[in-house]
Amino acid sequence: MLQDSGFTDVLIGEAVDTFGGAKGENKARAFEVYGYAFMARRPA
Amino acid sequence: MAQKLPVDPDALREQVRGKYREVATDPGASFHFHTGRGLAARLGYEAAAVGALPDRAVESFAGVGNPLSLRRLEPGEKVVDVGSGAGFDSFIAAGQVGPGGQVLGVDMTAEMLAKSTQTAERLGLGHVQFREGLAEALPVEDAWADVVISNGVINLCADKQAVFAEIFRVLRPGGRLQFADIANGRPVPADALRDIDLWTG
Repeated sequence: MLQDSGFTDVLIGEAVDTFGGAKGENKARAFEVYGYAFMARRPA
Repeated sequence: MAQKLPVDPDALREQVRGKYREVATDPGASFHFHTGRGLAARLGYEAAAVGALPDRAVESFAGVGNPLSLRRLEPGEKVVDVGSGAGFDSFIAAGQVGPGGQVLGVDMTAEMLAKSTQTAERLGLGHVQFREGLAEALPVEDAWADVVISNGVINLCADKQAVFAEIFRVLRPGGRLQFADIANGRPVPADALRDIDLWTG
C-alpha cells in the first residue's frame, strides 16, 4: 500500500508486543497482532 | 475505480473520537491497550526524554510502537504528527528537532487538542503547534514537511490509501514517513472487518 502511494525505500522494524499484559492481549494473540515501526521515503 | 471500504468512515471516526476522548480526560481508566509511561517504556522510548516530560504530556499516550526507532529526527526538521493525541510523540519530536525545527500535530478529537495545546504552552514550546484535522485531509500545505510521523492511527482509518496519499502530498520530495502501527499475522475474517466495534475494542 505504501508503494502504491508512491513511497520508496520501505523499512519495517522489529515486532513489539504492544498488547502483552493488556486487556486486549487475548484478541491480539488470536490474530498475531504486534506493533511495528515503518519508514518510507517520498522520492526526490 | 473507487475502493470499497469495510466500514463507514464517518461512523468509525465517531467511534474513535469517543474512545480517545476518554483516554484524554480519564487516562487512568482501564482500556484494552496500555497507556502512559509504562507503555512508553515497553515501546523503547528513551527514558531520559520521557522522564523530562510532565505527566500530562505522557499519561494519555496510547501508541503501538516507536515511530522514531528506525531514525532519529535531525535538528531543524519540520515534522507533521498525524493523529497527535495529547501530544506525546510531538513533544518527543520537538526535543529531537530542537527550537530550530517545527512540529505540527493534527488531531480530530477536541479533548486531545485542548490537552496538547495547553501542554505545549506550559512547556513554553513555541515551535510546537496543534491543529484540528483529519488524516485524510491534513491542514498542511503541499510539500511542507521533512518528516511525517504517526503512531497507532492509520489502522483506525477506514481509507488507508487516502491517508497515505495525503501524507505523500504534505511531504517534500525526499521527505520521510516514519510511523508505528499494528499489523496482524493471521487474516481477520471479513465479518469481523465489517464490525465497527472491533476496530477500537
